[in-house]
Amino acid sequence: MRKKNSIIGMAFFGPALVLLTIFLFLPMLLTFGFSFTDYFALNPELTHFVGLENYMDIFKDDLFVQSFFNTVKFVVIIVPLQCGGALLLALAINRSAHCKKYFKVAFFIPVVMSLAVVSTLWMQIYSPEGILNTLLMKAGIDAQPFIYSADQALPSIAIMSVWQGVGYQMIIFLGGLQNINPALYEAAEMDHASGWQKFKDITLPELKPLCVFVFITVTIGAFRMLVQPMVMTGGGPDHSTYTIVYDIYETGTVNWEMGLASTMAIVFTVFVVILTIIQNILTKDREGRKYVHKEAKTD
Amino acid sequence: MRKRLLWMTGIVLAAVCFTGCQKKIPSPGEVAGYEEGEEYLSIWVHSIEDTEEGQAYRESVDSFNEAYDGQYFADIEFVPRNDSGGGYSDKVNASVMAGGLPDVLTVDGPNVAAYAANGIIQPLAELTEEEKNRYLPSIIEQGTVDGRLYALGVMESSVGFFYNKDLAEEAGIDIPDADHPWTWSEFLDILGRLKPFMDERNGYPLDMTFPVGETSIYYYAPFVWSGGGELVSEDGLQANGYFNSEQTAEAMRFFRTVVENEYMSEAPIDHLFESGRAVFKFDGAWEVNTVYANYPDIDLGVAPYIVSDNWDGEAYTPTGSWAFAASSETKDIEGATELVKWMSGVESGIRIWEMAKSFPSTYEAFENIDVFQTDENYRALYMQLSNYGHPRPKTPVYPQVSTSFQEVLESVALGGKDVQQELDKAVERINSKLERYTRE
Repeated sequence: MRKKNSIIGMAFFGPALVLLTIFLFLPMLLTFGFSFTDYFALNPELTHFVGLENYMDIFKDDLFVQSFFNTVKFVVIIVPLQCGGALLLALAINRSAHCKKYFKVAFFIPVVMSLAVVSTLWMQIYSPEGILNTLLMKAGIDAQPFIYSADQALPSIAIMSVWQGVGYQMIIFLGGLQNINPALYEAAEMDHASGWQKFKDITLPELKPLCVFVFITVTIGAFRMLVQPMVMTGGGPDHSTYTIVYDIYETGTVNWEMGLASTMAIVFTVFVVILTIIQNILTKDREGRKYVHKEAKTD
Repeated sequence: MRKRLLWMTGIVLAAVCFTGCQKKIPSPGEVAGYEEGEEYLSIWVHSIEDTEEGQAYRESVDSFNEAYDGQYFADIEFVPRNDSGGGYSDKVNASVMAGGLPDVLTVDGPNVAAYAANGIIQPLAELTEEEKNRYLPSIIEQGTVDGRLYALGVMESSVGFFYNKDLAEEAGIDIPDADHPWTWSEFLDILGRLKPFMDERNGYPLDMTFPVGETSIYYYAPFVWSGGGELVSEDGLQANGYFNSEQTAEAMRFFRTVVENEYMSEAPIDHLFESGRAVFKFDGAWEVNTVYANYPDIDLGVAPYIVSDNWDGEAYTPTGSWAFAASSETKDIEGATELVKWMSGVESGIRIWEMAKSFPSTYEAFENIDVFQTDENYRALYMQLSNYGHPRPKTPVYPQVSTSFQEVLESVALGGKDVQQELDKAVERINSKLERYTRE
């Protein structure tokens, strides 16, 4: 009986496994393999094994290094804004007595919209005679070039990305907030705790596991930045919004250099994995300590 | 009973995973219209079937099958592509590796050299001189690599140097005739005169941008060519001494001057020209149709593309579009060539104009379309194309050349960086891509 069940289980699990193998695991292995070759998409027959040459080349490539730092800049701007913004929005909505549903939907709509559409929309908003500059002029501030200037393009795109993505994390936080036991707040009120104390000692600790999840997913998402600069600036001006994933795409599909692009992808993956592990350790460690702390107290 | 149902579902799911993975050449009767004794020719186009362009290709293939009934049967497959060329080229790349290229496929003009150098396409069967002479010289030139003809397009394209007739007249600007274009110096003088005139109208003399993508090299490489420069050597394997030559540097400096004097807006403003706030604009030939259809208040004219002060009458204006080529996997090059000739021929050219408003590629097609005789703007673009058309650089590393051109243009014209330094840096990048072709 049990054996039969496991066969049936396999029959259901099998297709997913086969698909995953063909479209995920195999390509991953192939990418790893290609990263040691000079595989050229237009002429695969001439592929040679080149050892670590690609790995050395990409670090000597100014453009790759620049795209790497651009990506890091994106992450540094987006992660705090998006995580903090989502939490603030969730808190605000959770408190508001009226139109809860309306705000929820309003903040979530950009998430469901296609990134390409949102990007095109914001190009209009940022354009020299667009709505944002018109408002600035009304306020007596000079028109800003936004995505057309090497200094402002990256922050402009980052802010637009936060606006686009923040609704998703907001919903997650909102779910978390609604799961907090109201008894905790009632107890705190009896102890005359201030609003800030309640937030610091009840809300935040209760949301902790969600914060870790949101933090890590937003970070990984920000690292994968591609569509917004592709649609809005084409990586410019002067490569100021050129990201790693964009570089991988250009190298692999436009210039046909699959070997080199594979190397970039591997380096990128390793970097993100390491970063995620560090994030995990940092957040886990504290939780562990707290647990020990609590236990010691109860003893 | 339930178990059996579960089993069935599992098996069906597993089977679904493996369907759709196979492709083979059909036998006669399997495809509607393919009969015994006919040679099967497959053809891929970079288009969606439901568009006007797709329908034009479909009709051309149908008429081919009618004309060659009993001899050939062409089977068309539509492979959509996105703006940057993905989708279609992904499929071509995958087939290069795994096999399964069709007999005939479409190739973007500037990619012909790379496809030829890597053995994806093969030279067409010999064409008679008469057959060749039907095409505009720019089409033959675009499809020729190392003296052999690989590709023939049904479409040709051009960029117009458009002007607003009312504004030009009001400012007292006389437009020269096609064979005596303004030189850069003359044009800078005119821009200088127009600057205060357009300031009053909250506009700019020139509506021009340097966008990322193919547009920049397509619109502005003519500035290099008209000064006698080229972006790569004739065999396409050398960039040093070409891309960073004095002619290229001069063209870049010209653009810097235009930007520095604020003859154009640094950040692109939408519809500047179309709203009557710019006198001149460089744009694709489609702009004529756009203005006629959507901006009837604009009195549109086509001025000759401006030239370097050192121009001595050589070809220099923008050209190029997708073309048909025979893949290296086709077993019948004669048949494939027939199909390429048909798809790019006069009848197909007239059809592509009528349905998709793309310029045709043969003299006869142009002569048979009324608007090229009666409308002065279309006529001017046709004349510019047939008399002064110059193909984009023919090199296997074209994508890098195109990207580099835009990057230098942006950093010099808009960023004010040192011309020679930027050009030399670009040459280094191009050289690193050329290594693959030059190391033997």
